[in-house]
Amino acid sequence: MAHIIRIGACLPRLRLERRAIAAAMGWLVPGAGAGRGTRTLAFWDEDSVTLAVAAARGALGGDSAESLTFATTTPPFAEPQNAALIRAALRLPALCRTQDATGTPRATLLAVQAALEGTELALIAAADRPVASSGSNAESRMGDGGAAVLTGPEPGLFAYLGGASLSAPFLHRTRASGAETALDWEERWQREAGYQAQVPPAIAAALDRAGVAAGDVDHLILPCPIPGTAATVARLSGLTKAALAEDLAERTGDTGAAHPLLMLAAHLPRIVPGQIVVLAQFGQGATALVLRAGEGVADHPGLEALDQGIPEGNYLKLLAFQGRLDWDRGLRGRFIVQEAQSTAYRNAEALLGFVARREAETGLIRFPPRLDVPGEDWPLADLGGTIATATADRLAYSRHPPNCYGLVDLRGGGRLMMDFTDPEAADLAPGDPVRFVFRVKDIDENSGYRRYFWKAVRDTGRGL
Amino acid sequence: MASGIKDKVAILSMGCSRFGERWDIGQEELMREAYAEALSRAGIEASAIGAAWYSSHYDDIGAGKSGVPMAMALGLPEIGVTRVENFCAGGTEAFRGAVFAVASGSVDIALAMGVEKLKDTGFAGLPTASRGTLAPMYLPTHTNPGNFAQLARAYEAAHGLSRQDLKRAMAHTSMKSHANAVRNDKAHLRKPITIEQAVQAPLVADPLGLFDCCPVSDGAACALVTTPEIARSLGQAEPVLVKAVQIVASNGWEVQQQGWNGAYVHTTRQAAKRAYAEAGIADPRQISLTELHDCFSITELVTLEDLGLAEPGTAWRAMLDGRFDADGAQPCQIDGGLKCFGHPVGASGLRMLYEGWLQLTGQAGARQLGAPHSALTHNLGGAPAQNVCSVTILGL
Repeated sequence: MAHIIRIGACLPRLRLERRAIAAAMGWLVPGAGAGRGTRTLAFWDEDSVTLAVAAARGALGGDSAESLTFATTTPPFAEPQNAALIRAALRLPALCRTQDATGTPRATLLAVQAALEGTELALIAAADRPVASSGSNAESRMGDGGAAVLTGPEPGLFAYLGGASLSAPFLHRTRASGAETALDWEERWQREAGYQAQVPPAIAAALDRAGVAAGDVDHLILPCPIPGTAATVARLSGLTKAALAEDLAERTGDTGAAHPLLMLAAHLPRIVPGQIVVLAQFGQGATALVLRAGEGVADHPGLEALDQGIPEGNYLKLLAFQGRLDWDRGLRGRFIVQEAQSTAYRNAEALLGFVARREAETGLIRFPPRLDVPGEDWPLADLGGTIATATADRLAYSRHPPNCYGLVDLRGGGRLMMDFTDPEAADLAPGDPVRFVFRVKDIDENSGYRRYFWKAVRDTGRGL
Repeated sequence: MASGIKDKVAILSMGCSRFGERWDIGQEELMREAYAEALSRAGIEASAIGAAWYSSHYDDIGAGKSGVPMAMALGLPEIGVTRVENFCAGGTEAFRGAVFAVASGSVDIALAMGVEKLKDTGFAGLPTASRGTLAPMYLPTHTNPGNFAQLARAYEAAHGLSRQDLKRAMAHTSMKSHANAVRNDKAHLRKPITIEQAVQAPLVADPLGLFDCCPVSDGAACALVTTPEIARSLGQAEPVLVKAVQIVASNGWEVQQQGWNGAYVHTTRQAAKRAYAEAGIADPRQISLTELHDCFSITELVTLEDLGLAEPGTAWRAMLDGRFDADGAQPCQIDGGLKCFGHPVGASGLRMLYEGWLQLTGQAGARQLGAPHSALTHNLGGAPAQNVCSVTILGL
């Protein structure tokens, strides 16, 4: 029997207030900023890849994996394979089988189902940073986030009892290759001919395979941005006693591929060992997985990042961060990102995996590592450090000025001049503890090419 | 055992263009302006020059790579011209090449030229220098104000300064250089400022404000160097002699290991120690005048300490007390420094030597000091954590 061993999640710290969307766009688009509360807003250097890496680090918890699936509807690259970058950032073995799964947010549960029906130690990292037309319902409803699970033969959070997926050519949302924003079909049709018609049969089939009666299900986790739909699906499925997981609509918004796992993480404190959980997702059909909670759910803190957000009242930051605002970058902001792929590849372990070298003869830890000097790999990603010098530079080009950087003394030895990131980076000062996050380093405005590296953020001691 | 460069080479002549936003002329004209002055002051023909060194930092603006742009601009007599680039120490690097050539006996007279045409970028401040292929993949997008703001914050923390004291000491540094440059008709900025103006200027990189930063200038400066014997034979009874030239490049210790506290410049201390040994100077406070690399006001304060002209942690107070003013005990930046004479990167080292040479030969006009016998110049190229530093000492 396969298990969900561990779950990890990453929410961007900024929480855009929907009333800010309404204030900015309501004069033009009636209904702009629909809904209450906030939605998550990825910082300029967060994308689906970085959110997936951050979530996966939590799910791995120091373990390895034999396969990695990156599930997303918003892969930064059409080519190359995004999962190859994620594997390198996580320092999973080269023999870890990697793949991108995309086309529908349900790619996540399709991948989780496949993993749970196999025997591998499998990592599924899901993330989305969706883009929608300004003022649209979708823009307000959506949010940015990442979540990941590690599955395998070891007991953990949940045991897998059975699952089912059905497919339907139900095109409630379409986006052509290369297009940035999608076209959403009428909501009532989605609800009635989509969710209500397709999810219950998937749940029924999954329960049948699991040998579980509908009335024995304790929890239903079903992402659906249309209010009330999950309750209707539960009723139609005969889940008479199932508690519905909060949809997080007023806190994060619908984070697409990440959302079923985010909802599951947030709901964990309400689940006790032995209870039955149905985890379901919709999109050109439906997938339902039946799980029995293991001992790992006891005393689980849930999704702590929900309470670690920073309210944001400026809608234009969404447009600027998504590269959709033709702002005055100045001539200093006009530069070419030299891809130098051969340089990047021979230094991939250092740049993506964030690995220094401890030199055998001197004991010195050095980054970038001298590849020709005998020594041992010295992974930095989980070490953290202390700020030695810091600046908040108002002259340097930045998508979120001032540009903040400085020397970081690495825990255990060595030092590196590196970027500081996050909305409050300018507050960082010498002596402050930092931890390291994998983020977008540069984006070429012309080609869209982006590259990644590690940056320092304040270490609050509670993770994110 | 190396015997050092002391007294083996003399400055025959120097020249310097007017610095500033020279919208009307390019790199070639700037070089010709400085070169014409040096040649006329030397009283020699161009055909006497045996070799030349040419410093220019940026090659995407300016005249491009190699020694050819200078050879063509000056119409040099088909000699070896070597382009050097060593950040802001490039001008001194060119000087060192010329000095070494004369000392080796390879040539009788050598030319060192530094030039930069910066005002062809279209924006304020220096462009980002190219850093190869690997470094941009992990290093921050930085600017020089950002780099030196780190020095200011570390200096403030290391010595327990209040922000107010730091800002006023930095403001006095800039105020003093503005006052000095009023008497320099080749300087870029020739307006006096007040301490309050500097303190209240907009921030560029906290705590550095606009008046803590040197300007971006077009300019060129050059030197003709020869042996002391030839200098005397050409009528110079007491030629200015090179007493020391030292250049130190960071090897990564500051930026890759944890021994450096960020509040001083390691290479400056190393270069100064070697230069004093080479020149036989026991107490650097005996040096008549200094031209430091005041790219930012904080750099001047820290460098005064790194050169041993002030005790660590005291330069800020000595600056406020006026010790480095034109009428102080140790005049510093008497020509206005980078702050006001200007900072055409590849030329700055030679511009400093130009002032030293003018002062030592009594040709400094309205800003002439009493009877100076020695001059120190200092360049710092790059960032406090990773740089090239030069220290040169001239004397009679």
